[in-house]
Amino acid sequence: MSGFSSLNTAVTGLAAAQRAMDVAGQNIVNANTPGYSRQRAELQEIGLPATATLFTGTGASVGGVTVSGVTRIKDAFVEAARAAAGGRQAALSSQTDELTGVQQQFAEPGDTGLQASMDSFYSAWHDLANNPTDVAAGSVVIQRGIAVTDQLHSLSNGIAGQWGIARSALADVLSQANQAAKDLADVNAKISAGLVAGRPVNELEDQRDTLARSLATLVGGSASIGSDGQVSVTVSGVALVSGSTAQQFTLAGATTIGAAGTDPPRLMWGTTVVPVDSGSAAGYLAVLGSDLPSLSARLDTVATSLRDMVNAVHQTGFQADGTPGGVFFDGTDAQSLTVVPTSPGQLAVTPAAGTVDGSIALQIGDLSDEMAQQTQLGGTGPTAQWRDLTTMLGVKVQSLQNAGKVQDSVVAAADAAVETDSGVNLDEEMTTLLQFQRSYQASARVVTTVDSILDTLINHTGLTA
Amino acid sequence: MTLRVTQGSISASTLRGLQTNLGRLQDLQAQLSSGKRISVPSDDPSATASAMTFRSQQAADVQYLRNIDQVTARLGVTDSTLTSLSDRVRSVRELMVQAQNGGMGADSRAALASQAAALKSEIIGLYNTTYLDRPVFAGTVAGQLAIDPTTGAYVGNDQPVVTRISRDATIRADVKGTDVAADTMPALLDRIVTDLGSTNPVPSADFTDLDAAMSKIQQALGDVGAREARIDAAKANVDSHRLDLTSRISENEDVDLPATIMNLQSQQVAYQSALGASAKILQTSLLDFLR
Repeated sequence: MSGFSSLNTAVTGLAAAQRAMDVAGQNIVNANTPGYSRQRAELQEIGLPATATLFTGTGASVGGVTVSGVTRIKDAFVEAARAAAGGRQAALSSQTDELTGVQQQFAEPGDTGLQASMDSFYSAWHDLANNPTDVAAGSVVIQRGIAVTDQLHSLSNGIAGQWGIARSALADVLSQANQAAKDLADVNAKISAGLVAGRPVNELEDQRDTLARSLATLVGGSASIGSDGQVSVTVSGVALVSGSTAQQFTLAGATTIGAAGTDPPRLMWGTTVVPVDSGSAAGYLAVLGSDLPSLSARLDTVATSLRDMVNAVHQTGFQADGTPGGVFFDGTDAQSLTVVPTSPGQLAVTPAAGTVDGSIALQIGDLSDEMAQQTQLGGTGPTAQWRDLTTMLGVKVQSLQNAGKVQDSVVAAADAAVETDSGVNLDEEMTTLLQFQRSYQASARVVTTVDSILDTLINHTGLTA
Repeated sequence: MTLRVTQGSISASTLRGLQTNLGRLQDLQAQLSSGKRISVPSDDPSATASAMTFRSQQAADVQYLRNIDQVTARLGVTDSTLTSLSDRVRSVRELMVQAQNGGMGADSRAALASQAAALKSEIIGLYNTTYLDRPVFAGTVAGQLAIDPTTGAYVGNDQPVVTRISRDATIRADVKGTDVAADTMPALLDRIVTDLGSTNPVPSADFTDLDAAMSKIQQALGDVGAREARIDAAKANVDSHRLDLTSRISENEDVDLPATIMNLQSQQVAYQSALGASAKILQTSLLDFLR
């Protein structure tokens, strides 16, 4: 054993404590950094070489300590669960947001919705029936008819507008996803290079996990980490990111709601359709491909039933001048429905030419009753159809909101799991800091002690008073 | 393994809890300030469906009440017209009875004839009574007359004028001209005027025919009265249905005020205690005890 080797041992202690305090410091300063995973300095004792050398005596047994590495504490499975939960949450929330937007425009239940408009339309016909020659009553009928068509137009436009918003949002999600995929591929490359060069890659790995998580939030997919530290992301079997290469997704399909039924918007990889079942993109695709087109189609049915029902009665009547009654509503869907008569004289109010009889107006007014609608159409009438449509949307939004709440708590639990595993506990870091401070002080004391021994040996040995 | 708890997880869960509490407070506040339990269909889809049905039925009821007002006014006019009509016809009959007195000179008979002629034009005027520019006794005829005043011919038709007074009932709002002898009266009166003008006794056929016409008018009066009674009953029904709907709409859509206020109170307590607890836990760390 030599005094100098003891000095070396103490120096390794100083260095290790220094390094451990550095790591604790890194943890403390990054306690609030999003995506940061705590790190731990791994200490390892240094033994003496197993083979004897010139400098080693048989008595030597102490070799020192070294920091063998700085471990990033992160469970890949916990992180994967968090990313998947986030993807499903994003899908639900994008779908809920879009449908809630439509629901607001329905203005039901209330006195300003389509239901109220239709009710006042029927009432106006009864008023006209009470007073068939009254021009004012006739004008009211026409104006109330126009009010109904206006409501239908604005609902139809509202749904189409929401569709347009959802489509731009999807395009935006896609460009973010493509960018994130590129960034992820770059980080993969850096990690690979860093590992080969033996450089620390903990911070790069945090970046990698953050990017993979945001990809899951955008387009879903599953991430797996290879032994080389590179993450690969596949969406429904299509490798979006693999090592240092990233694929680009494109958006194909209809650009207006009218064509969405036959040509629904979809994500493409080259010429392959990529089915997406998670992430905001999935929510937008559901809204674009089925929810909004089906709402729009059902609104069109309300409009055409109203048209057919009123026209069927109106056409059996005659105008005041004896002309047979034409159609009252014209158009093929909610967007194009218009009122044909422009003046009260064009309303077919009487059932027999040359008489003043409000019977036809009475019959149209009677259509306010759902049974009368059913008899006239041979199926459910516009009132029931509109109510079903509203209720269906309400149920849909409500169940999405409930599923969203459940998913929120799933995400919260997954977040807590990640935080439990990788989060920085300041008390713990303070303790570590103190622990290594003491360790540093003690190592320094070893140096002082050895120094004093050497001093004794060198300066005082052999001296006699 | 013990669960690691970190400052980050504490503050995340604190924030989440506070958010949830505040969200509930906001919901309750929105309900209280609008007074409505349902503002969008997703708040309660099935109550939304009921709300829409109730409102639709209520709108129909309001219209039935308007129809009832219209038909009541129209029948009121008809009723008073028929009463005047029967008065005038009775006056004609009195003239005929006077003419039966023997010893009336030709002059007196001529005077009776001219009185009867005046009554005749008054009676035709009554037959041509209109309500809102529509003749009351002429069915659905295009013009505004039941009897052409120059020819005395009945120009009306027997088509009914019908109004809906409830979901299940309609009522006839007019009286057929033929039911009140509008078709036979002008010719009969002409005959009576001629018979009065002559010095011969008034033929008994005149009395029989006039009495027959009179009884038709009386019958029509009775019929109108019965219809008014029916309308009153319908009005009471529709009105109570409408009120019932109003209270059901309110039950369905309005907030239960005491319950909501109680909820708000307990939510506030929960929120405040969450704030208090968070403040206590988040304040301390090991740093407070290290020198």
